[in-house]
Amino acid sequence: MIELQEVDLEYGAEKVLEGITFRSGAGELLGILGPNGSGKTTLLKAISRIVRPSNGVILVNSRSLQEFGQKELSREIAVVPQSSEPKFDFSVEEVVRMGRYPHKERFATEDEEDRRIASLAMEATGILHIASRSVLEISGGELQRVIIARALAQEPKVLLLDEPTSHLDLGQQVSILEMLKTLSRKIAVIAVFHDLNYAAHYCDRLILLHDHRILAMGDPESVFTPERIRAAFGIDVTVRRNPLTGRPAISPLWRRTENGAGGRRVHVISGAGEGADLLSALQNEGYAVSAGVLSVNDTDYAVATALGIPCISEPPFSAVSERAMEELKAALENAHAVVLTRGLWGRGNLGNLHALETSGAGCIVIVDCPSGEGEWDFTGGEASEILERLKAKGAVVTREVPSTLDLLKTIFISRKNSD
Amino acid sequence: MRRPLLLSLLFLVLLCTILLSIVIGPAGTPFLDLDQEVTSTIVFSVRLPRAIAAALVGIGLAASGVVMQGLFRNSMADPYLLGTSSGGALGAAFAIVFLNGTLHWVFAFIGCIVAMAIVYAISVRGGRVPVEQLLLTGIAVSVFLSALLSFLMYTSDKSLHQIFLWLMGGFWSVSWSDVTIGLLVLPASLSLLLFSRELNIFSMGEEDALHLGVDTERMKKGLLLASAFVTGISVAIAGSIGFIGLITPHLMRLLLGPDHRFLLPGAMMAGGVLLVLSDTLARTIGGEVPVGVITAFFGAPFFIFLLKRRYAP
Repeated sequence: MIELQEVDLEYGAEKVLEGITFRSGAGELLGILGPNGSGKTTLLKAISRIVRPSNGVILVNSRSLQEFGQKELSREIAVVPQSSEPKFDFSVEEVVRMGRYPHKERFATEDEEDRRIASLAMEATGILHIASRSVLEISGGELQRVIIARALAQEPKVLLLDEPTSHLDLGQQVSILEMLKTLSRKIAVIAVFHDLNYAAHYCDRLILLHDHRILAMGDPESVFTPERIRAAFGIDVTVRRNPLTGRPAISPLWRRTENGAGGRRVHVISGAGEGADLLSALQNEGYAVSAGVLSVNDTDYAVATALGIPCISEPPFSAVSERAMEELKAALENAHAVVLTRGLWGRGNLGNLHALETSGAGCIVIVDCPSGEGEWDFTGGEASEILERLKAKGAVVTREVPSTLDLLKTIFISRKNSD
Repeated sequence: MRRPLLLSLLFLVLLCTILLSIVIGPAGTPFLDLDQEVTSTIVFSVRLPRAIAAALVGIGLAASGVVMQGLFRNSMADPYLLGTSSGGALGAAFAIVFLNGTLHWVFAFIGCIVAMAIVYAISVRGGRVPVEQLLLTGIAVSVFLSALLSFLMYTSDKSLHQIFLWLMGGFWSVSWSDVTIGLLVLPASLSLLLFSRELNIFSMGEEDALHLGVDTERMKKGLLLASAFVTGISVAIAGSIGFIGLITPHLMRLLLGPDHRFLLPGAMMAGGVLLVLSDTLARTIGGEVPVGVITAFFGAPFFIFLLKRRYAP
C-alpha cells in the first residue's frame, strides 16, 4: 500500500508538482497521465525514492519511505524505467536473476528458489525462449520485457512502470498491457501512460496531471471529459463510449484552420450518413456549420454532435415537427449558403426540402453524389421534382466534397468582391 | 562448470609465469655456469622479488581496471581515470626534485590518494556522486596535475632524467621491501570481490541498481577507495604502467564473460601474468627497457585489434 499526503516535488529550484495526495494498493491498475513535462516521471521517481519530496510524506505500508533500507524497499517496490541501456553482454537470464538481489544476503548464493522465480518471471513476460541470448543483441521490445521480468523477480508489492509500451509494436503493446492487467489483481501496478485510449481501456483508476497538480482522479469515465483533455493537452477531442468495451474512447479532432472562411455560416441538409465527411470538411475550413433537420439515429447526427456542430434534430422514425421546421427556417435564413446532399428522401424528411424551397436561401449547392445506384426517392417522385426545381432556379450541382469546398470558396470570394 | 576451471588454470599459469621469469634473464640460465652463491643471489634477491612485485602490481592494476570499467559502465575506463596516475607522478617528481628522491614511493602513493580524494570531493553533490561528474572532474584534475608536473620538470633540469625514468614505469630497483608493501594489494583487491554482484547490477545503470536494492553511494565510495588504494600501491612500486588495467579486463571479458564474480579474479591473475611476462621481456631484450614501453608497445596494437573486432559485423 502506497500513500502520498500533500507531496510537493521540485526539480532543482523548479516546482514540478504540489499537493499530490492519493493512495493505491493491491488489486488496481492505476494510470498516470498528463502532457509532457507535467511531472509523471518525477512522480514515479518520488515513489521509488530517487527524488525526495520537498514537502509532504510518502508512506509504504504506513511507514515513511525514508525509513526503508535499500534492499528492503526493493522488496516492496520494483521499477521499470522508460528505457534501459545495458553495457555488458549479460544473458537475459542473468539480468532477470539480478531481480533476486534484494532477497539475498551478501554472501548467499543463488538457489533453486531464485532460479524458479526467475524462470516464472520470464515465462510471464514471454521471454523464456531467449533466456540465453545476450541482452546486447535482443530488440528494444524484448529488452523491455526482460526489464519487466527482472522487476517481477523482485516479487514486489508495487510495480511502477514509466511508459511501459513506448518501444513496442502494436501486438507487443497489447500483450504487455494484458499482462499488467492480470498482475494488477495481485499487486498494485502504477504506470505512466501516453496513450489515453490504452489508459481508458486498461486502468481501473486514472490520475490526470496538469499545471503541477492533480487535475482529475477517478475511473476513466469520470476523468475523461473533453473539457479536461482540452485543459491538459490543449486539443479538442470527442469522448464516446466504445460500444465494444463500454470504456471511453477518445479521438482528437483535426485542428480548425482559419483561412478566410471564418464567420461564414453554412447550413447542411443531409441524411443517411452522406453528410458526415462534408460536415467535418466544412468545419475544418473554418465555416460556422449548422445541420438538420436530422433524425437522432442518423450517422450524420452522431457526427455533427461529435464535432460540436449545432444540429436541429428529431426523435427516431418521426416526421419533421412544427418546432423543428421553425428552427430550420431560421437557420436557412441565417445561412450564407446551404449545402444539400442528395441523400435518401422519404415522407419523414421531405419537410427539409419543402422548407428549403420556400425559404429565400439564395445560395444553394447540391452535392449530387449518391452513395449507391439504388433507389433514393421514396416520396413518389416529389423529392426529385423539388430538386429539379431548385436546380432550375440556380442551385449549383457538385459531385464530391473537395469541389464543393472550392465552389463555396469562389462564391464567397466573388461575393466579397462585388460587395 | 567452465568458469571455475578456467580460473584454476589461470592461477597455474600465473605460478608458471613467475617460475619462468626466474630462470630467464640477461645473466643466462643461472643454474649452469655460475657458482651456487651468485645463482642464489640472482634468483632470490633480484629475480624473485622482481617477479612477485610485477605479479602484485599486475593484479592490482587489472582489478582496479575491472572496477573502473564497471563503475563507469565504459570499457575505455582504466585505473588512472580519476587523476591517480598524474597525482602519483606529481608526488614522485616532488620527492625527486626537492628531497633527492627520498621516500619517493610514499609521495607517489600519497599523490594518487590525494588526487582521487580531490576528484571525489569536487564531485559530491548533496551526498551523492554522479559518475559522469566523477569522470569529467577526473579529466580536469588530471590535466591540472599534469601541468604542475610539466612545470616541475621544466624548472629542474638536473633531475629530469630521473623523473622521466620513473614516469615510464619499471621494476629495476625492486627489492623484498617493495614486495612487502606490494602484498597490501592482495587484501585490497580481494575486498573488491565483495562488490562483484553489485558491479553486475550496476552495469545496467545507476538508477536501475538503486531500484534493485543496491546501496549505490556506499558501493561507489567503497570501490573508489579500495581501487585508489590498490592503484596507489602499484604506482608507488612501479610508476604508472599503462594498458595492463585497460586491456586485461577486455581480454578476460572475452574469456569469462561479464559476470564480475568470475571476471574480477580472472582479470587479477591475468594482469599478474601479463605484467610478469612484460617485465621479463623488458629486462631480457636490449638491457633494461622500461616495462611501460613494453606494455604500451604490445598493448596499444592489441587494443586496436580488440576495437576492430568489437565493431566488426
